[in-house]
Amino acid sequence: MASIIDIKDECALHVRDFEFTYKGAAAPSLKKVTMPIAKHSITALIGPSGCGKTTLLRSFNRMHDLYPGNTYAGEIEFEGRNILGAKEDLIHLRTKIGMIFQKPTAFPMSIFDNVAYGMRLQGIKNKTELNDRVEKALKDAAIWKEVSDRLKHDANGLSGGQQQRLCIARAIAVEPEVLLFDEPTSALDPISTQGIEKLVIELKERVSIIIVTHNMQQAARVSDYTGFMYLGELIELGHTEELFVTPKEKLTQEYITGKFG
Amino acid sequence: MTAVQKRVLVNKIILALSTLSAVIAIAFLFWILTVLVMKGVGAFNWNIFIYEGSPPGYPESGLKHALVGQAILVGLATLIGVPLGILAGTYLSEYGKNSKLAHFIRDISDIMMSAPSIVIGAFVYAVVVMPMGHFSAWAGAIALAIIMIPIILRTTDDMLNLVPGTLREAAFALGAPKYKVIMDVVYRGAKAGILTGVLLGIARVGGETAPLLFTSFNDNFFTTDLNDAMPSLTVTMFNYAISPYQDWQQLGWAAAFILSMFILGLNIVGRLILFAGKRK
Repeated sequence: MASIIDIKDECALHVRDFEFTYKGAAAPSLKKVTMPIAKHSITALIGPSGCGKTTLLRSFNRMHDLYPGNTYAGEIEFEGRNILGAKEDLIHLRTKIGMIFQKPTAFPMSIFDNVAYGMRLQGIKNKTELNDRVEKALKDAAIWKEVSDRLKHDANGLSGGQQQRLCIARAIAVEPEVLLFDEPTSALDPISTQGIEKLVIELKERVSIIIVTHNMQQAARVSDYTGFMYLGELIELGHTEELFVTPKEKLTQEYITGKFG
Repeated sequence: MTAVQKRVLVNKIILALSTLSAVIAIAFLFWILTVLVMKGVGAFNWNIFIYEGSPPGYPESGLKHALVGQAILVGLATLIGVPLGILAGTYLSEYGKNSKLAHFIRDISDIMMSAPSIVIGAFVYAVVVMPMGHFSAWAGAIALAIIMIPIILRTTDDMLNLVPGTLREAAFALGAPKYKVIMDVVYRGAKAGILTGVLLGIARVGGETAPLLFTSFNDNFFTTDLNDAMPSLTVTMFNYAISPYQDWQQLGWAAAFILSMFILGLNIVGRLILFAGKRK
């Protein structure tokens, strides 16, 4: 019943028959989800609240493992292996698959230390290298001009939009392959939102991006592929333009025309 | 009288009664402080920092022994109590969370917080002083540390809980191992709160007399030997205050004044830090 397009380009991730069950829940929150995630493009996940889009997103970096008792089934293939395996090195995985959260999560430390945090975790101590890579990450995240003269200041002094770009800089500084965005602009004003969207589009040249959004216009504006989820199932995955203009599934059409959700 | 007039009248009566109660309650505090400052300042002179205790009647007597002893006792208690309290609080907030063991520890800790301090003194007397065969600074410090731990444990637990979960997740998402997340992100986020807990814990034990009576006991002379009985401001104050000698009583007032100012200062600093942290 689901309509999933076959992606001809190289894929960053392959989800196959993936099921996820929260601790103590009788039924899985994600049911037999199968979807390819194209490399160096943006895949948006849309759907009404509770449809499982954030649950799916948080499976890609195994964030659910922080809370014991949750179970995975099926397969998520990344770099030729199933990352759901018990032996998966989560620390390594999370350096390859980064995440940006709904609310900005600047650490209580200086702007510089925030961006350097991930690199320091990887053991990079060389000051020149740290300086260069922090500067590059901040430039790539389009925030360098605003903060270059106050790198030693507390990051919590920045505005919400600036903090979110700082978090993006922090995530790209460790040069991940995939970036997961969990409603990255829902706590931001329209102008900051515009800035983040522009940035996300620029970033796809280097990383593969999956973005969860409540905002269908946002999905239409930024993404190459869009997946529509409903009640834990992936109903349709297609090229964004096709999905919004000529959806193949009736449910998708009803959702994007505002009949429910 | 209309219903509205009646309501206004009742309102005025209640307001007057509650204001009066508040004034009476706070008046005692100011009364104590006023007497303390008047008597304390009168008894205060710089000699008390220079001379140790001496028999009544000697002009060259002071509180050096008690001040140093107090600092050693409270300092030692802090060294024992703070790491244990913070680590236990960290366990509760970051590892135990809602487990049965964690809840059990929280409950026990709350009970300990309201336990009479003399009971803790008696306990330390039984397990430390008796086996050692004599009073010691160690025993006093251990008794104070036991009183301090539940305070620091609970504030640490509460303060770490205030650090948003997403901040932890963000650090994990960068590939940080758990101990790094706690040390780099969670502790930093709760820094002001933990420090406040520590200061309030020190302030709490700084004024304790009962647990010291039969652990570190007292000594009228200067000592830094941790294996020997050690004077403290509180026990010295007690001994001097109940003595019949006027110069000892004067020293007692000075001791009370110094101790109160110290504890008041710690409390104010603790609250200021918390306030500054909240405002951010």
